[in-house]
Amino acid sequence: MKHIIIIIIAALALTTSVKAQDELSPERKQAIDSLALEKVRDLSKYVSIIGNKNTPWSEANRVIDRAEELFMAGAEIGVSSLARTDIFYYKVRTYFERLMRLNYDRVEIEWYKIEYVSDLQRQPDGTYVGVITIFQRFSGYDQEGGLVYQDTTKKDITVYVKRKETQIGGRMIGFWDVLLGDIRVKETSS
Amino acid sequence: MDKHLVTRTFRSMFLILLVAALTLGGSTGCKSKKKLAREKAAAEYAARVDQAKKDLNAILNDETTWTLKEKEQRVKTIKNWNLDDSEVLELIDRVEDKLARERAEAERKAEEERLRAEEEARLKAETSKYGNLEGMLRSVASSPDFATANDRISQTLQLFATPDVPVLIIISQAGGFNDYDRPTTIRKYLDYLKDQKNFNNRIEQVKYDSNGKITELELIKR
Repeated sequence: MKHIIIIIIAALALTTSVKAQDELSPERKQAIDSLALEKVRDLSKYVSIIGNKNTPWSEANRVIDRAEELFMAGAEIGVSSLARTDIFYYKVRTYFERLMRLNYDRVEIEWYKIEYVSDLQRQPDGTYVGVITIFQRFSGYDQEGGLVYQDTTKKDITVYVKRKETQIGGRMIGFWDVLLGDIRVKETSS
Repeated sequence: MDKHLVTRTFRSMFLILLVAALTLGGSTGCKSKKKLAREKAAAEYAARVDQAKKDLNAILNDETTWTLKEKEQRVKTIKNWNLDDSEVLELIDRVEDKLARERAEAERKAEEERLRAEEEARLKAETSKYGNLEGMLRSVASSPDFATANDRISQTLQLFATPDVPVLIIISQAGGFNDYDRPTTIRKYLDYLKDQKNFNNRIEQVKYDSNGKITELELIKR
């Protein structure tokens, strides 16, 4: 009986110790929170560049490559419209290529109110997962500059942050890899 | 009675009385002076006790405009008075505690200020050290259009050994070690500046090869 109690106490101590090592200090947690938000803001800028009809084709394609690198493999982006109730989901690359070819003469896409709706939480495998919400204002204009279509969509983006290591210049560098998951449409309004 | 004898007797008695009067009078005057001195000392002591209580309470309640040094000097003076008054002694204890805390706080602030000034000087030195490179990165970010940005990117790339030179970005230095963003290359980083139109880092470290070309760039988030 005495041995069992000692084993239980030792196991509890070990568990507590491992947990303490896994927990990030508030400063480091704040840094990865900000990093994930920054990636979403970067994506916002990429979406705006890709959608902009004045962006040269080669630059838009290059930006698609950069934007795609922000996402996990297989991630999907939802597309809604005021004209229908269905929401279509496209693979990231397909979404951006469609965005580049939208049938308007001028497109304005603005993301705002970019904030966490669910803070980054540590998962058993060490990945931090959270949800960031954004509001997207889409405006499409015709050749005469008339507004053809406009909507506002609230979207939720799942973010995954994982600590990784890589060797650079003969030394190991520990870094936080932020990857975006699916972008789900939550609401669409005019 | 002989008139001469009477005169002598009177003279003698007068002398005796004079001596007695002087003796008694002198003794009484001496006693009065001591008393006056004692009273004066007592009054001075009472005045000091009052003054000490007033000053110590004023220090305790932050009702003075004295600097910390002046307050410490005042307490030292009061302690040198050696006042044997229980209230004053208790006030001295409390004031000394308070001033010790104020001294520790002042020293902490002075240390913080020293470190801040050191960091500022270091940043200033590094900014001027990497001023040219930082200026080029900033100019890419502030380019008005893609064509201008691409020209500036080409110029900046000439400082680097290859377009694949690694760029490391420190996002946090808490706990004595660095946390980085995902490493990138200088080519991609310059494109990033062109797209995002914002350079919000500063240069932490630059490594060069034997030709003076940059082989590694380390940035830190502002």
